[in-house]
Amino acid sequence: MRSYFLSVLEKIHAEYAEIRYEEVIFTHLHFVGKELESIETSVEKGGNVRVKGKAGWSFISFNKIDNLSSYLTEAIKKASLPRGDPVKLAPVLPQVKTVAATFKKDPRKITLEEKYYLCSRYNRILLSAPEIQTSDLKYTDSHIMKYFANSEGAYIQQERFHIALGMTSVARRGDNIQSAHEGVGGVGGYELVENQEEKAERAAKRASELLDAEPLTGGKYTVVIDPKLSGVFAHEAFGHLSEADFVYENEKLLEIMRIGRRFGSEILNIIDDPTIPGEGGSYLYDDEGVPSRKTYLIREGKLAGRLHSRETAAKMGENPTGNARAISYEYPPIVRMSNTYIAPGEKSKEEIISEVKDGIYACGFRGGQTNLEMFTFAPEEGYKIKNGKLTTKIRDFNLTGNIFTILSKIDAVGNDLILFTGPGGCGKNGQSPLPVSTGGPHIRIKNLLVGGK
Amino acid sequence: MEKIMEMALREAEGVEIYQEEFENTTVSFESNRLKSVESSFGQGIGLRVIKNGKIGFSSATNNEDLDLLVKSALEAASFGQHAYFKFPGKSHIPEVKCFDPSILSISVEEMVKEGEEAIKLILKEFPDFRCEAELNKTITKTSIINSSGLRFSYNKSLYSFSVYTFLAQEGNFLGVEEEESSCQHQKWSNLLAKRVIDKIKFAQKKADIQTGTYPVIFTPKAMPLLLSSLKMGINGKLVQKKISPLSSKLGQKITSQLISIFDDATFPYASASSPIDGEGIPSRKNPIVEKGILNSFIYDLQTAGLMKTETTANAARDYDTPPSPSTTNLIIKPGDVSLEEMIKDTEEGLIVDQVIGAGQSNMLMGEFSVNLDLGFKIKKGKVVGRVKDIMATGNVYDLLNSTIAVGREAKFVESIYTPPIYFAKINISG
Repeated sequence: MRSYFLSVLEKIHAEYAEIRYEEVIFTHLHFVGKELESIETSVEKGGNVRVKGKAGWSFISFNKIDNLSSYLTEAIKKASLPRGDPVKLAPVLPQVKTVAATFKKDPRKITLEEKYYLCSRYNRILLSAPEIQTSDLKYTDSHIMKYFANSEGAYIQQERFHIALGMTSVARRGDNIQSAHEGVGGVGGYELVENQEEKAERAAKRASELLDAEPLTGGKYTVVIDPKLSGVFAHEAFGHLSEADFVYENEKLLEIMRIGRRFGSEILNIIDDPTIPGEGGSYLYDDEGVPSRKTYLIREGKLAGRLHSRETAAKMGENPTGNARAISYEYPPIVRMSNTYIAPGEKSKEEIISEVKDGIYACGFRGGQTNLEMFTFAPEEGYKIKNGKLTTKIRDFNLTGNIFTILSKIDAVGNDLILFTGPGGCGKNGQSPLPVSTGGPHIRIKNLLVGGK
Repeated sequence: MEKIMEMALREAEGVEIYQEEFENTTVSFESNRLKSVESSFGQGIGLRVIKNGKIGFSSATNNEDLDLLVKSALEAASFGQHAYFKFPGKSHIPEVKCFDPSILSISVEEMVKEGEEAIKLILKEFPDFRCEAELNKTITKTSIINSSGLRFSYNKSLYSFSVYTFLAQEGNFLGVEEEESSCQHQKWSNLLAKRVIDKIKFAQKKADIQTGTYPVIFTPKAMPLLLSSLKMGINGKLVQKKISPLSSKLGQKITSQLISIFDDATFPYASASSPIDGEGIPSRKNPIVEKGILNSFIYDLQTAGLMKTETTANAARDYDTPPSPSTTNLIIKPGDVSLEEMIKDTEEGLIVDQVIGAGQSNMLMGEFSVNLDLGFKIKKGKVVGRVKDIMATGNVYDLLNSTIAVGREAKFVESIYTPPIYFAKINISG
């Protein structure tokens, strides 16, 4: 592949051009209730060329690689259309690297039959608690070969396995329908989805118990959130705003997002780190061939950095961080998070809850969204806290806040960091789902707006 | 395709091959100017087999992998679900308008010009704002053949234009999003710019609202928040799994009698229109809710077979996914009240236009709890300003049951055709 890509790139005249190509073989199993809805092994191959003109980009994706040269010629022509401020790229040493997959058990060596039996065993557990109406279990393993070359001489070949297992139990009593979810997976082998019986049991038990939970009255509460939810909080409440493509050409927003601005107290640190092995958003080189690295977004309460592509880094005069990612060959790389988390603090979960007189303990997550000023994040379930003790179980409420003020309302950070991933992931500019991990310790937020009955 | 059919038929008793080839071009504007031009040339094949009475599926993008495609589909069939259907044979397929050949000849330069026009109009009124815009044209050729003798292919075109206009001010971010899409090429620059400008104007003033219960008007753009739960409720698959709250409500009243809803894949030039569904069943117009009464669920062949009923031609798929029931164009029958009349009628209430947090609540039950990204306060029959930092909470079925009026002017929001709708109450906390 290397000699082919480099020979094609040698013949053209462009300020900057790159070629990406991917070969993906995946196996997917989907159980709903007692039935296996679908089971398939499929193969997808495709690539793209991306060319930078003076003031913008052109991008062409394809399945037939034989036409590579003509796609490049076409892309060079289209790249001259944008006019205006020049687009520059932050310098990066061109890498020539071959990265092999890291795993313990190669999913390709596990038979379809074995995968079927593992999933049906988990599925039976998902259906085993009282009043469970149905389940939803999705298993996917992918073997991914990614090739990258650019006109600066870089050539990076990365092999990886990505595996994900999502398990949901749905309980029903009359019109009351409740669900609970557990997910596992990441960059690695079959070992990541083995021995998950306990998680399946937990999903079933939680869904069943949620039938007895009470809806919550909306209003402002002191809220303690668990590690699952604090991960979504890090991702939605701050991660997206740290993506430099939102600010790099917007002076007004940049004034608001100046480095060093205080957002929270000194106990707060938020980090994005693709170099942690085995997580959903782990990688060594991003889709522009930039080595990945750990980036502090918030350090001791102050804005410390942001996530960059080569273009946003050049424009802002900051260092590239290796956060340009594409969900597949069909899309150009854009600035994305990887594994985003709140760093652990000192307090135990018990301490954090025991100090609350009247509040809410919110756990698990169904999702989150932001418009860069406000954000929402939805827990799966929760409990009322009275005089430091968990009391009534609650359901169907949603948390919301203003990104610029919320971090200053965090008054306790726990010592129990956990990272989570699974099927699904993050969505941005039509690219969804991108595998990421999110996580954090228990944290406590004062005066948080909660939507409820 | 015939070669794959031959290979698969050596071992399978039923075979279906679904192929898509597509070309699309997108021009993207960032920070008020053209930033990138993107194209894609894609193709893929999905193979579904029935072997020993059981279903298998696989997909591939490239011809060199056809052996693997056939082998994988047959292997999957040994674990697959028992088939409760036979592949359909030839039948009369209606002519559905979903291809506009003029889209083929629209140049990148013309698309750029349309984008520039809209941005220019918006910046003339509001020079501080930043505009992003995206125009896309797509041509898809879909072919389906099966072992019962069906051979059909059709072309479809799609043209879409979206604009996002944004201003970041400390404590007061404002973003307005507007879009149009159709199988036909239309010039939307003026229309989109006007909608964005009108909404920014309304949002200039801020208004306060106290925690409480208020009447509410959902604009067409906000209606998908409510309809996504209903779409799940009428989905035959969720009915079959007994987790639809509507599963036992056929023939019963589920909304106000002011509401009538159709699923219609034959609607001329609508974005989800096509002559056949993903299994080659001729498209049709299905009444879903008639004057508040639930008339029908939606099915594909397998789900209908399991439920001992007929498919409603609602198998949705791409080449790389097996068919599953989904709505096509969901059409809400317009009423006879104008938006202005609804506003005039409101003593104190809200207009909901954009939300954050849709799809994260207990959607099966119809619950929603969202932050108002763009919402307006109505006082004494007039729009008095933007409300923000508040949560709107409710239940879709309660809302639809409390309908006061259905609007006259409907529009497509992606594949949902809906007017604004005026409901008696929504919970607001702030």
